[in-house]
Amino acid sequence: MRSDRIFCDLPTVALQSFEAIKYATAYPKGAVLFVEGQAPRGIFVLCKGRVKLSICATDGKTLILKIAEPGEVLGLSATVSGKPYELTAETIDPCQVNFVKREDFLRFLKDNSEACFKVAEQLSEKYNSACHEVRSLGLSHSASEKLAKLLLEWSSKNGEAAKQEPRLKLALTHEEIAQMIGTSRETVTRLFADLKKRQIVQSKGSTLVIRNKVALKTMATNG
Amino acid sequence: MESAIQPRCLECALRPDRVFCDLPTNALEAFDSVKSTIVCPRNTVLFREGQPARGVFVLCEGRAKLSVCSESGKRLTLHIAVPGEVLGLSAALSGTVYEVTAELLDNAQVASVKRKDLLAFLREHREACLRVVDLLSQDLHIAYDRVRSVGLGRSRRSRALPS
Repeated sequence: MRSDRIFCDLPTVALQSFEAIKYATAYPKGAVLFVEGQAPRGIFVLCKGRVKLSICATDGKTLILKIAEPGEVLGLSATVSGKPYELTAETIDPCQVNFVKREDFLRFLKDNSEACFKVAEQLSEKYNSACHEVRSLGLSHSASEKLAKLLLEWSSKNGEAAKQEPRLKLALTHEEIAQMIGTSRETVTRLFADLKKRQIVQSKGSTLVIRNKVALKTMATNG
Repeated sequence: MESAIQPRCLECALRPDRVFCDLPTNALEAFDSVKSTIVCPRNTVLFREGQPARGVFVLCEGRAKLSVCSESGKRLTLHIAVPGEVLGLSAALSGTVYEVTAELLDNAQVASVKRKDLLAFLREHREACLRVVDLLSQDLHIAYDRVRSVGLGRSRRSRALPS
């Protein structure tokens, strides 16, 4: 899987150096890798499984920023800058993770220019995602617009984008989806019921089929 | 903007205060040879959201507003960039489109570098690459702070940028 993942596809020499400084660990579902506000101890390279990345307000309200997929490096910007982790990372599947201590990682970057480039690429991707979130959260008119955008984004992965009726696995609860789009669980449940009633989506177990992509795209732009 | 154009980074008095600018001498000399320094009036749009990234813009003097836009034309400010910041960095590195629009709030001096020259420069000068990683981390912190304020703020006021 190395060649598919930005950070993992390093030259052999760099990978050998990386092997010497990493700690491979398995985590069960529901494990917290790091908490928003903690001092950065190091990075977590996600090899297998998915991780929920979230931020929290002082009143306890939570916003899920994204679901990290294998290949992503978590805690990267905090580890590089020395500032506290900006997000909380919690596993939503059993995960395999490579942890690298901060001082070892910074030394690794100083010694390996290709790794430094790869890190820059990963940070660029994360920045792009964050800007996308700002646009989506700050400029979308309604919860239905944000939900439609989210479903379209999820359905464009794993080769489903070109299909007439793309499918996606709903890995999150209505509560967690609400936390992703900044609304309430009740609103998400109501919106899904409406989408099903209008036959825009159809549930097949934990799989959601998008029956009417055009209608969903209209919702995503008009709300 | 009161001072005359400062063509060479090596002679810039503000170098030590700026992450990207305070590079070793040989790296700065190389950077001087690939950059183009321009003076732009207020309200100049350096690049627009969605445009293919053709390069970066180092803000030498003056400030720039970075914003995102909805399909309906509604605009939200992400950040006010200050001198020393490198604009368009993540898009130029990843070879994608600019994620934001950058518009000057003041008359400004800007050093622009074409994408291919930037990539060659970073591959040649590891210290510069490390600085870029540092800058991108800072950009990401700012973006996450903005996500927090728009996503978790309850009132209109809380969506305003912190002063």
